[in-house]
Amino acid sequence: MGDFLTIVMKELRHMLRDKGLLFGIIVVPLLLYPALGHLMQVGMQQAQEETKVVLVNFDTGNYGNLLIKSLEIAPNVTVTRIEAKDLQDAINKAKEKDYNVVVVIPGDFSTKIDANEKTNVEIYAIFKSVSTGIRESVSEGRINAVVNILNEYLAKLKIKNSASGDPEAILHPIEAQSYSVIKDRVVEVSPSIVVNLFSAQGLSIPIIILLMVMVVSQMAAGTMAMEKENKTLETLLTLPVNRLTIVAGKITGTAVMGLIASITYMIGMRYYMSSLIPSGDSEISLEALGLTITPKGAILFALVMFLTIAFALGLAMFLAIFAEDVQSANTVVSAGIMPLAFPVFVLMFTDIETLPAVFKYFLMALPFSHPILAFRAMLMGQYSSIYFSIIYLAILATVMLYITAKFFSTEKVLTAKLRFRRRT
Amino acid sequence: MAAIKVEDLEKDYGKVKALKGISFEVKEGEIFGLIGPNGAGKSTTLKILATLLSPTGGRAEIFGYDVVKRADDVRKLISYLPEEAGAYKNLTGWEYLTFMAKLYAKTGKSVEEMLELGREISDLGKRLNDKISTYSKGMTRKLLLARALMVKPKLAILDEPASGLDIVNAYVIRKNIKNFARSEGVTFFISSHNMLEVEFLCDRVALINEGVIVEIGTPRELKEKYGAENLEEVFMDIVENTLGGV
Repeated sequence: MGDFLTIVMKELRHMLRDKGLLFGIIVVPLLLYPALGHLMQVGMQQAQEETKVVLVNFDTGNYGNLLIKSLEIAPNVTVTRIEAKDLQDAINKAKEKDYNVVVVIPGDFSTKIDANEKTNVEIYAIFKSVSTGIRESVSEGRINAVVNILNEYLAKLKIKNSASGDPEAILHPIEAQSYSVIKDRVVEVSPSIVVNLFSAQGLSIPIIILLMVMVVSQMAAGTMAMEKENKTLETLLTLPVNRLTIVAGKITGTAVMGLIASITYMIGMRYYMSSLIPSGDSEISLEALGLTITPKGAILFALVMFLTIAFALGLAMFLAIFAEDVQSANTVVSAGIMPLAFPVFVLMFTDIETLPAVFKYFLMALPFSHPILAFRAMLMGQYSSIYFSIIYLAILATVMLYITAKFFSTEKVLTAKLRFRRRT
Repeated sequence: MAAIKVEDLEKDYGKVKALKGISFEVKEGEIFGLIGPNGAGKSTTLKILATLLSPTGGRAEIFGYDVVKRADDVRKLISYLPEEAGAYKNLTGWEYLTFMAKLYAKTGKSVEEMLELGREISDLGKRLNDKISTYSKGMTRKLLLARALMVKPKLAILDEPASGLDIVNAYVIRKNIKNFARSEGVTFFISSHNMLEVEFLCDRVALINEGVIVEIGTPRELKEKYGAENLEEVFMDIVENTLGGV
């Protein structure tokens, strides 16, 4: 125990003083991610701020003016009426005044509405550069919303004048009421909202888990490769310490750093994600749908995460044996872990049960699928599948750590090399 | 009991035969030097004795323990200083010595004793409190030598202890080794391609060339036998005349 703790403490002390590593696990997730998210939020806010519309009205009837009034009272829309000869003239004038939308009301607008014919309003969004076009998209949405309200209003007005009964009921005779059944319970939430909530989780959880796996793997490989690069490995291996203790000490030290990294990345990613998803869009939480996390579920999920990380660390250490320095260790680890991690991204968009049997078992064979499956099973309270994950991962992690420790007790730890450069 | 007993030791790296069946013995308390040019098989021999590499054939024992079968027992008796060793750059010299002392010593008192000896051998003074990344090559080597010796091993295996150092640092390191061997009675097994260094330090030497030990004896015996002024001349004489030139 004494040797083990001595090695763990040395690993932690050494890593905590590595400025590059600290930058990677503290500054990047806690400062850069939120900063990036904030920047994107600022961009989106700017896009949402105000829609400046240049309006050209060729209509002489009442309905053109009604549309203009509706636009003028719509929130976040500033309307400036201009006189223009034609469309090009209107666009030129809008550009001059730094307006981004031109709305053209045609001359026969009122006449056609009066005659119960379909008419149109032309909306031109002016793109000044090749960008995401969020501003233009928001502007178009706002004008469309005004046009839709006006459409409804006019339709109801016409119905009222020509038919008896409730105009709303005539216009929308059928309304679908959607419910969701989750865990055998009927929830008064439409499936689309549930799907949105699920897909937000479905996207963020796999990304966070895989990011964490990559970070700790690179770190583990880094500590191992650092021993080779700094020429400290040979000395370490001749110390009167069991090789298994050395491997365990290094893995534990890295795991503690990995835990710190996981927490910082989760916080950072949460800030980043919350910046991208506008607040207030959905008040529905997982709890409201009856998807609560029980203490038992949380413990089982934590165990799955622990075993996944243990496997990843064992694999990374093993792969790092073949690297000569930190740089090549990163390459080897990416090459070794990415193929195991990438297919798991399929789970972001798919339910594993809906996949063909071959793909299903392939994904289940990959260790990194299990935290994602376990997270979902935890929410649904399906603990039996989590037990399976725990047993499977425990076997994989034990075998991996055993192989790594075995390699450490042979001379291969010094002599095994993968060459990336062509021999000359 | 012999400190080191090597019999018909062989080591192959694929098609390359680094050691072709070498045999020798080192007595307890002796400073024994293994000398030869680059690529002769010196480092391979040391790495086998330090339990880092496994021999392809033959056997080696340290104080009666087989270096392969009883590697854990061997590691308790030895201290190995590799030729191109480094230290953990983010630690201070003192933290590095403390880390090593804790792995060797089993009581707090012996940790303190080791550290005191380490401080003395390293001769780094207050610089021990600085990060190793700020050390010069000479300072790092002194620290590493202090690490290897402060644990008072029964056998110290030093690979090119003064390699790459300037005259002053090399001299200090050689003097430290010699003083330590005299005062503590530790057995030393040293490799070097610097014949003069070995002549200054060693009680007995083995000359190795292309994986074969070509001569063993005290520096004086060898010089007399070959009528040479120093070991360098002895070595060249053997290589050119006995083995048909290089």
